[in-house]
Amino acid sequence: MNVLEIKNLTKKFGDFIAVDNMSLTVAEGEIFGFLGANGAGKSTTINMIAGLLRSNDGTISILGKNNAKQSRFAKMNIGMVPQDIAIYEDMTAYENVKFFAGLYGLRGAELNERVVEALEFVGLQDKHKSYPKSFSGGMKRRLNIACAIAHRPKLIIMDEPTVGIDPQSRNYILTSVRKLNEMGCTIIYTSHYMEEVEEICSKIAIIDHGKIIAEGTKEQLKSIITNTKDVWIEVKTTEKVNLAAIQDINGVEAVSVDENFIKINSDTGVNNLNKILEHFMNSHIEIRSLQEKAPNLETVFLTLTGRNLRDQ
Amino acid sequence: MNIINMAWKGIKTDFRDIRTLFFMLAFPIILMLVLGTALSNAFTTTLPIDDIDVLYKDTTDGAALQQFIQQADQSGIEFKKVTIHTDGKKEVKQGKYTGYVEVTEEGVELYVNSGDSIGGNILQGMLSSYVDKYNISSEIMKVAPDKLEQAFSGGKQTNFIKETSVNPTKQPGSMDYYAIVITSMIVLYGAMSSSSLIVGERVRKTADRLIASPVRKSEIFIGKVLGSLVSNSLCVLLVVLFSKLFFKANWGDHMGLVFLVLLAEVIFAVSLGIGVSFLAKTSAAPKVIIMLFVQLSSFFGGAYFKLENPEGIFKFITDLSPLTWINSALTKIIYANDFSAAIPALTINLVGAILFLLISIVSLQRREGL
Ligand SMILES: Nc1ncnc2c1ncn2[C@@H]1O[C@H](COP(=O)(O)OP(=O)(O)OP(=O)(O)O)[C@@H](O)[C@H]1O
Ligand SMILES: [Mg+2]
Repeated sequence: MNVLEIKNLTKKFGDFIAVDNMSLTVAEGEIFGFLGANGAGKSTTINMIAGLLRSNDGTISILGKNNAKQSRFAKMNIGMVPQDIAIYEDMTAYENVKFFAGLYGLRGAELNERVVEALEFVGLQDKHKSYPKSFSGGMKRRLNIACAIAHRPKLIIMDEPTVGIDPQSRNYILTSVRKLNEMGCTIIYTSHYMEEVEEICSKIAIIDHGKIIAEGTKEQLKSIITNTKDVWIEVKTTEKVNLAAIQDINGVEAVSVDENFIKINSDTGVNNLNKILEHFMNSHIEIRSLQEKAPNLETVFLTLTGRNLRDQ
Repeated sequence: MNIINMAWKGIKTDFRDIRTLFFMLAFPIILMLVLGTALSNAFTTTLPIDDIDVLYKDTTDGAALQQFIQQADQSGIEFKKVTIHTDGKKEVKQGKYTGYVEVTEEGVELYVNSGDSIGGNILQGMLSSYVDKYNISSEIMKVAPDKLEQAFSGGKQTNFIKETSVNPTKQPGSMDYYAIVITSMIVLYGAMSSSSLIVGERVRKTADRLIASPVRKSEIFIGKVLGSLVSNSLCVLLVVLFSKLFFKANWGDHMGLVFLVLLAEVIFAVSLGIGVSFLAKTSAAPKVIIMLFVQLSSFFGGAYFKLENPEGIFKFITDLSPLTWINSALTKIIYANDFSAAIPALTINLVGAILFLLISIVSLQRREGL
């Protein structure tokens, strides 16, 4: 059964179309990744699924039931981990989870059990009596997750749950996501970190300007661009690099700058490495290293959207 | 159940917040102590009842009024029969007399200055209970004249005086005065915390969590308002009891009615806070607006010092302050047993509360999210 079905979903803010006629299905047991640059429309889509925003058009169904008609059913079955940490600083970790779980009708011993379970799940059982103000960013993120899972939702939506945290907490969260999935939860996961999505997601949708521009497994997505390759040129300073000029070279599909690397995606069929190097020589740009890359999700993203995932 | 959940969470965190507790409990108590002791000279603690001179005119041949006058005389209120050459009402207007009583077969009429003089209040209170008695006795007179004597001398004879005459030690001293005005001021400050009831959820982003849960918006709203009402009422209760027990402030013999008036003010304050928070565009503006409103209301409501008989435009301004009405109601209830004074205070507060709640409910329904 499909846990989530979106049909022709549209959301406008004034004249601006944030989500544009989007259709999507998420099957049970999936870890479904939303990839998209800033402002692509990921959060807007997610907020409509969770019932925080009204759509202008289209339908959303959870477990086969229309959200608009049976919003209580939908809400009972969704666990929402918002992009911004949403917890009460003046309540302990335990009280936070208990309060939110209580909103889903849990009471008494069962409520207590579920709260303890959720806190253990994110590794905060030792901190259950502490106030979040004493927490690190990573611990707050974990509590943010605990507050969304205590009522055992079928569908867990995580909007950038790993933003701005230490590697240890991030690993903890990624492991938890996998564990939740093994326990039978379907998960929608958005992130700015390509590696994360590549690592844990079984299916990925690339979103740009409110539209899904590609969708499938990692392998399917990569196969879209087997006819291109990546060349990364490390330079001493990127100041003098003229991206437009490189873009104009025959066969070059996309160019971007990431720290000291110039990342060039170009057709496998065109032999243009000479031309590219010539450009660097002529501009007196010192090259430090040069590597050819097998296609990865980042290349896919760059090729499809023409921009880096994290070009803030 | 969800409503109780929401309310309980609010109450719990309110009483955990040191700042709220300080502001709602310690601050008023300290203020009472400081103003009540520092400004005690500004208050005559002796009974101004000596100064109560009353003119009267009695066109009936009943002895009831004479009895009343005798009793009142013992409390220090002096009654003088009006002469043909004097106009009782005019004398009162000019401040020469506290009141003018006219007793005719139709009933009793009392004229006092419309200003908030304690003397006028006392007189009004005493007379109103006399009128009750008078009505009973006139009834009896009509039915069975021989029972009249009994009605007045039958043990309860002095009741109307005892009930209403003011015990000299119960006059509003400075502590009594400030206990009332500071309490009513701090209740109004409750609007500060209630202005962040909904805005706070938005700022902390927990509003999203609440909306994503299967709890209705109306339940969230009612729960929040209810919690705030309970928290604020508890604070007021504690402040009043503290001032009564430790500062020996006089709250009178009708604490129930006193609390009813204060409760109406709590309801007004909480609604004001929420209403303003929905009207304001930014999340910081409500606090500024409320601070200004409470400060002005406090000043013109006499929270810092007593405003004696304001007149003209000044009176108009003081009447705009809800605290003027509340403080006047409380003073009349405590010192003159004048329960009817509660009615304008209750009306103003509850009508205001309904207005602000309506604004909140309408804007809440229009919003996506909280
Ligand atoms: N309430 C709003 N009013 C007006 N515009 C909005 C509103 N919310 C979002 N937008 C706009 O809609 C677009 C999509 O925003 P959204 O938050 O969905 O992006 P996102 O993909 O989640 O980005 P990010 O990675 O930065 O979280 C953005 O251009 C944003 O400015
Ligand atoms: Mg987002």
